[in-house]
Amino acid sequence: MRLRRFMAVTAVLALFVAACGDDDDDGGDEGATDTEQEASGENTGRVNVLAAVEPEEAEVIQTVLDEHINADADYTAELEASGNFEEEVEIRAEGGTLDVILLPQPGAVIEHARSGRAISLEDMGFDIEELEAQFGEYLLSLGEYEGEHYGMPTNVNLKSMIWYPKQAFDEAGYEVPETWDELIALSDQIVEDGGTPWCVGFESEGSSGWPATDWMEDIMLRTAGPEVYDQWVNHEIPFNDPAVVTAGEYFGQIMFGEGYVLGGPEQTPSIAFGDAPGPMFQDPPGCWLHRQASFINAFFPEDAEAGVDYDWFPFPPIEQDGVLFAGELAVAFRDAPEIRDFLERFAGEEVQCAMGGEPGSARLSPNINVEPDCYANEILAESSEIVSEALANDTGRFDASDLMPSRVGAGSFWTGMLQYVQEGPDSLETVLDEIEASWPD
Amino acid sequence: MGGGRRSAAPRIRTEGSEHVVTTALETEPEAPEPVPDEDEPAPRAVRAVALAVLRLLGALVVPIAAFFGLWLTFDWMRDADVNRFVLVAVAIAVGVGGVFLLYWAMNRTVDHLPERFREGVRPYVFVGPALVILGVFLVYPVINTIVVSFGDSQGEGFVGLENYEFVFTDESMLRAIRNTFGWVVVVPAVATSIGLAFATLADRLRRGEAVAKSLIFLPMAISFVGAAVTWRLIYSFRPEGFGTNIGLLNGIKMGLGMTPTPWLQERPWNNLLLMVIMIWMQTGFAMVVLSAAIKSIPDEIIEAARIDGASEMQVFWRITVPSIAPTIAVVVTYMVINAMKVFDIVFVIGSPETNQTEVIAERMIYWFIRNHDGRSGAIAVILFVLVIPIMIWNIRRFREQEATR
Repeated sequence: MRLRRFMAVTAVLALFVAACGDDDDDGGDEGATDTEQEASGENTGRVNVLAAVEPEEAEVIQTVLDEHINADADYTAELEASGNFEEEVEIRAEGGTLDVILLPQPGAVIEHARSGRAISLEDMGFDIEELEAQFGEYLLSLGEYEGEHYGMPTNVNLKSMIWYPKQAFDEAGYEVPETWDELIALSDQIVEDGGTPWCVGFESEGSSGWPATDWMEDIMLRTAGPEVYDQWVNHEIPFNDPAVVTAGEYFGQIMFGEGYVLGGPEQTPSIAFGDAPGPMFQDPPGCWLHRQASFINAFFPEDAEAGVDYDWFPFPPIEQDGVLFAGELAVAFRDAPEIRDFLERFAGEEVQCAMGGEPGSARLSPNINVEPDCYANEILAESSEIVSEALANDTGRFDASDLMPSRVGAGSFWTGMLQYVQEGPDSLETVLDEIEASWPD
Repeated sequence: MGGGRRSAAPRIRTEGSEHVVTTALETEPEAPEPVPDEDEPAPRAVRAVALAVLRLLGALVVPIAAFFGLWLTFDWMRDADVNRFVLVAVAIAVGVGGVFLLYWAMNRTVDHLPERFREGVRPYVFVGPALVILGVFLVYPVINTIVVSFGDSQGEGFVGLENYEFVFTDESMLRAIRNTFGWVVVVPAVATSIGLAFATLADRLRRGEAVAKSLIFLPMAISFVGAAVTWRLIYSFRPEGFGTNIGLLNGIKMGLGMTPTPWLQERPWNNLLLMVIMIWMQTGFAMVVLSAAIKSIPDEIIEAARIDGASEMQVFWRITVPSIAPTIAVVVTYMVINAMKVFDIVFVIGSPETNQTEVIAERMIYWFIRNHDGRSGAIAVILFVLVIPIMIWNIRRFREQEATR
């Protein structure tokens, strides 16, 4: 009995130990103050880079980091791929144990800036004009909060791409559509020929729904134009504005078209976005068209050959043309020389070019100076050219859902679009009203 | 003051005799000591103050020393470039051995106190750290959460009851409350029933009881996340054209010539499918605990019942169940609380909003991630309030049991 009680107390203390252990693993407040003191100069020799990438992609990035940064830098940069990135960032930001994160959501960059935890590029001694010359003004402005910039562009991907099974497509005598009407006509033609035009999948575990919001954005950019698009992003027009309703109707034209979508629209929320293009590679193709960003070819069958088994064409113009892209902004949470050096190198031409040439990488560079011939294949080179041009001329727009406050852009917009495709065309207005209501004041 | 001393006196005897492992021999002779100089009034007040100070010291020294000791160790471990195994060994040595040593040392220190203080201080040395830990890791967070729940999205400005209004008006939140209610009713009921049935039946097995029970207990060893991932595959569904259906359930359906079903989207039944995961995991627990209780029912009672002509069903309902009722209560409470805070399963299965499988704890995390500390806090408070009655009931039942013992 005595012993048992004693053991109980010891157990409680053991828990205490465990709790402290956790605290320190995640840094705790001590860690934060330590690093603040180091800000003025001391090099900790380590840069942790937290990113929301698949393990394969992480491996590719780490290879490039090892070869082009760690080889001659006085610190070691380590990429940490996180499966539950949003959660982990939130927790570790509060705990003060982040060095650099690669944030796919500029909206979240602003949130970290507002919380006072992120460190601005100005504070780290970067020349913003110089950066603007490298990345274009628009991309840099995405991480701007109260006159200071917090996001260093490190990677982009082109969203406005429609993939198709090249060989079968050509054999069937189909032609690449150049307008929306031609796209619809092509879809009808495919249905008439007994095929299914579209492969669509919106499932993405904790982030299900984002591919559907991409569709909306691509259409919105082309029906309403970049200015209204910006107003929509900044909530200067309501989410249920007629312009958005129109975009939703165009989206519905594809999703609810008779026989357009493989498996039917109500199944799309349960099809993993990575599995979605799969049927395109069957013989005969299970579907003929797949709208997805430049990174999707990482999910294509390994033996599929670019230019033969598949190819892509830009999302056709509607009222006007546009370029939708997404990407990552690196945000620093610790002000230290090695962090600054890392950011500079990581976004710089050498590393970016090496990243493009690394087999298995589908990352495009936001750095305008990176030449197309850096890239491992024609598809990447072409899409990189399109993005670079759009960045230089300020005609492209960033993925809207990533710019909106997270509870819309990573919440109600995702789920709203899924509700729309499941419940059918009539639910559009209700869905948009609900998203509008969820917008934080 | 005298009252305080008197109330401490009986505790001294019970606690003292239990705790003093190392000093049992030394302290024993002084146990019946009647405290000789009791009648001087002035020193008594001084002594009371001294006692209070000593108690406070006794209560705080261990946690504070432990904290600094651990802090230093962690600091060292973070910077040290030594073999990982050495680090682990040091961590264990300091974490477990160090704490043990601290207690031991404090216990010895108390032995060196003047006799009249010794047994008044000793219990505080042992209880103090637990109270400090409770305060820092439980009481403080609870209070802070309540404060945050009245704040805005950043947990700062005061917004009154806005977050609570949200909790009880938001469609998704209302569904979460409804679903959680379902979890709390279905999971304990089904898991306990099946567990009880298995426990009773396994008890009759002539051979293989251990094997049968182990098999059912096995899922208990898997984490909720692991279980959810496994069951996600069981429920997996791919529409026609997207490759073979690899899900077990759909495999069975297709084997019977039926078309596959998108199980996880069948609202509201998908909620039940998620509950099945928890039931699968917890039945083993119920079974093991209930089985132990069943085995402790005296054979004579059951035999007497059988001799009196009771059928097996009558034995079960009139003897087994009433005899183990307290154990059933424990099992059910445990499961109710578990079901109330279920999060991992729903989260890992995914798309709770689209599939309408939200639960309260999942909403709490959802709003935390979406940078709304206020809402997250309010949901946490609701969850906390919902657990309170169960705790009270549990404690009361526990006391009654103690009283009748």
